[in-house]
Amino acid sequence: MGEVILTMKGIDKSFPGVHALDHVDLEVRKGEVHALMGENGAGKSTLMKVLTGIYKKDSGTITYEGKEVEFHNTREAQDAGVVIVHQELNMLGHLTVAQNIFIGREFKKGIRIDDKKMNEEAKKLFDRMHIDIDPKETMSRLTVGKQQMCEIAKAISHKAKVIIFDEPSAALTEAEIEELFKIIRDLREQGLGIVYISHRMDEIKVITDRVTVMRYGTYVGTLITKDSTKDDIINMMVGRVIYEDPKTQNMTPKGSPVVLKVEHLNAGKMVQDVSFELHKGEILGFSGLMGAGRTETARALFGADPMDSGDIYVNGQKVTIKSPQDAVKYGIGYLSEDRKRYGIVVQKSVAENTTMADLDAFANGPFIDKKKEKEIAEKYVESLATKTPSVDQLVVNLSGGNQQKVVIAKWLTRNCDILIFDEPTRGIDVGAKNEIYKLMNQLAAEGKAIIMISSEMTEILRMSDRIVVMCEGKKTGELDISEATQENIMNMATREIN
Amino acid sequence: MEAIKQNPLVKKVGFNRIVLCIVLILMYALFCALTGGNFVGSSRILSALNYAYFLGFLSLGVTFVIATGGIDFSIGPVMFCCALIAGFSLVTYGVPLPAALLISLVIGIGFGIFNGYLVAYWSVPSFITSMASMNIAKGLASVFTRTQSVNWPQANDTANGWYRYLVRYNDIPVGLIILIVVAVICAVILNKTKMGRYILCLGSNKEAVRLSGVNVKKWEMMAYILCGLLVGISAIFYVGAYTTVQPGYGDQYNNEAIAGCVMGGTSMAGGLASISGTIIGVFIISLLQEGILALGINKNYQLIITGIIVIVAVFSDVVARRRKN
Repeated sequence: MGEVILTMKGIDKSFPGVHALDHVDLEVRKGEVHALMGENGAGKSTLMKVLTGIYKKDSGTITYEGKEVEFHNTREAQDAGVVIVHQELNMLGHLTVAQNIFIGREFKKGIRIDDKKMNEEAKKLFDRMHIDIDPKETMSRLTVGKQQMCEIAKAISHKAKVIIFDEPSAALTEAEIEELFKIIRDLREQGLGIVYISHRMDEIKVITDRVTVMRYGTYVGTLITKDSTKDDIINMMVGRVIYEDPKTQNMTPKGSPVVLKVEHLNAGKMVQDVSFELHKGEILGFSGLMGAGRTETARALFGADPMDSGDIYVNGQKVTIKSPQDAVKYGIGYLSEDRKRYGIVVQKSVAENTTMADLDAFANGPFIDKKKEKEIAEKYVESLATKTPSVDQLVVNLSGGNQQKVVIAKWLTRNCDILIFDEPTRGIDVGAKNEIYKLMNQLAAEGKAIIMISSEMTEILRMSDRIVVMCEGKKTGELDISEATQENIMNMATREIN
Repeated sequence: MEAIKQNPLVKKVGFNRIVLCIVLILMYALFCALTGGNFVGSSRILSALNYAYFLGFLSLGVTFVIATGGIDFSIGPVMFCCALIAGFSLVTYGVPLPAALLISLVIGIGFGIFNGYLVAYWSVPSFITSMASMNIAKGLASVFTRTQSVNWPQANDTANGWYRYLVRYNDIPVGLIILIVVAVICAVILNKTKMGRYILCLGSNKEAVRLSGVNVKKWEMMAYILCGLLVGISAIFYVGAYTTVQPGYGDQYNNEAIAGCVMGGTSMAGGLASISGTIIGVFIISLLQEGILALGINKNYQLIITGIIVIVAVFSDVVARRRKN
């Protein structure tokens, strides 16, 4: 490790309803790989967004190469040499590799774009990284792993001095991860400062020099990786709290009837021959890696996307679901992972969102009974403990956790018996997370049947009675919670890949 | 300024609408001053109102479409198409007047169904759909009337002149009363009914509404059909005021109707609409039109001014929204 290149001190940032960063510190040295760890919602990505100018900090200082700086956008950060390699790739699929790498700063010959020069320069970059990618290849034809390499090449081409990797391995295969690590080690040799965000403990041990841990938007501490154990890091991440009442056994009442049966469901490439059963009062976890086809399965089942074939039975009755309208009719409610796009109408009030799925019940002929609407909305604000000044408040002004509660209220108003929670706690801070968990347990105890799609292993193990594991569009396993471990789930989740 | 905005009464009526009313009064005062009192008289006002009637119905109609996040550039030509075909049937084929009025409404609704179906069920962008139906409306009317202008009966026509009473009976501005009544009905539809709720919500986030199990296609189409009906009504008030219609025109009213809407606080992005705002917006445009006429300024300047108003209105809408976020 060399001298300090980047120091963030006392960084503070609030969003309406969420104190996202509470005086967080981070120090990166030249030639080190510095892990940034923490649960989902701990504030890692927010911190990096503050660094690269996507968010403006409320207070605190950033010192880069000895000078205090404040980048106003990613462009400024890039020009200074601070580059982020995103989790979601920002590539234009129909352009070539080289065109993607040099987008926005193309080499020119007169007014013409000099593709030849770009290809040469891209080749040089790849040579420097010791990888073999054809710069003339169309981006969309590369694997996700190769695309990620291109992102890294792009970062290097910005003469980066600090590169931030935001969960780079999430979508990669073992072999690709190996290759990625080789490149990261190379970059470290060359004296770059690297910030590595990941959840995967074993990777952290392998690749990083120091670890900074965050929790609930606060700075917990920094460890030297080789001097600390996995348990040290985990303890710092979870703190005293949480994982109260983890599930050790299936809580579904014995002989509980099957409320939903899906047989040989096919929908495009992402859903291939998926079958499962869901019981009354059960929480069925859907585990798998990103892109395993879990959301696609839920959407096909809910009628949001067309299904190619397969049979669905609700309460033993065979049903045809062609649209969300049909699904809702049979008492199925879907809570999307992307609430703002698919769950709520943010520019409308809490009350209006609450009755969205069941407006007929609040109407006399064509007219809406606003008094009745207000009553039910207030009832659910109270029973779900939604934090809002009134039911007339626009949903856009609520925090993520409270928005999620509005979506839950919507489906409870409709009296749905089958609820599909797709990443129920994504983007929700930890306190609110526990409330959502409690709520889901309560709903199951009341006899609702719940499908919970989650990418967080801890969430799956904490909430599920049974677990379905998917990989590359296929169901690769099914486990009772009593026999489930992180390892055997992971095995099933990667079965198709290996 | 903030204090005024937070005043409960102002909040209830809407700051934007109060500003619009002030603009309307100032404009009236300005025209009175510039024309040296020539403008005060009732004939100018009545003439401005004549303009406001048909434009008002058009603007009310397109308000619903814009609330869904769509746009309709066919309203003006469709209105002319209604007036031409209904009038031609009345004058040339001797169809009874009530039937002719009904024809106008049916044609309006027909275009509404056409636009709405393509947009909602086939996902054709409303911009394209309405451009197409604009041409269809013009062509259809020209074919039907053999490219002749149509003269609806005059008021002194004892058998068929009574339709003009819808606009004015002696000195009573019947049209104004009808416009206000229809506007109130529109406001009720928009704010108190399922249809209005769904239209506004799907304009704001169609996918979320669809995933709530709502038949979004049906409700989106309903907005266009309602718009079509109002266009059909608009045609009756156009001929009630002016009696003569020429094929091949009507485009200029698109912009004015949309301008009225947007000025009144209806967001081009969908999801937000105000009926009272639309009505005041229409009054402003009608007054402007009449004022420019009274000042003896070339009519082309009116086009320029309306264009500028649209840009200012949309721009302030965008700025206000950006500040809110």
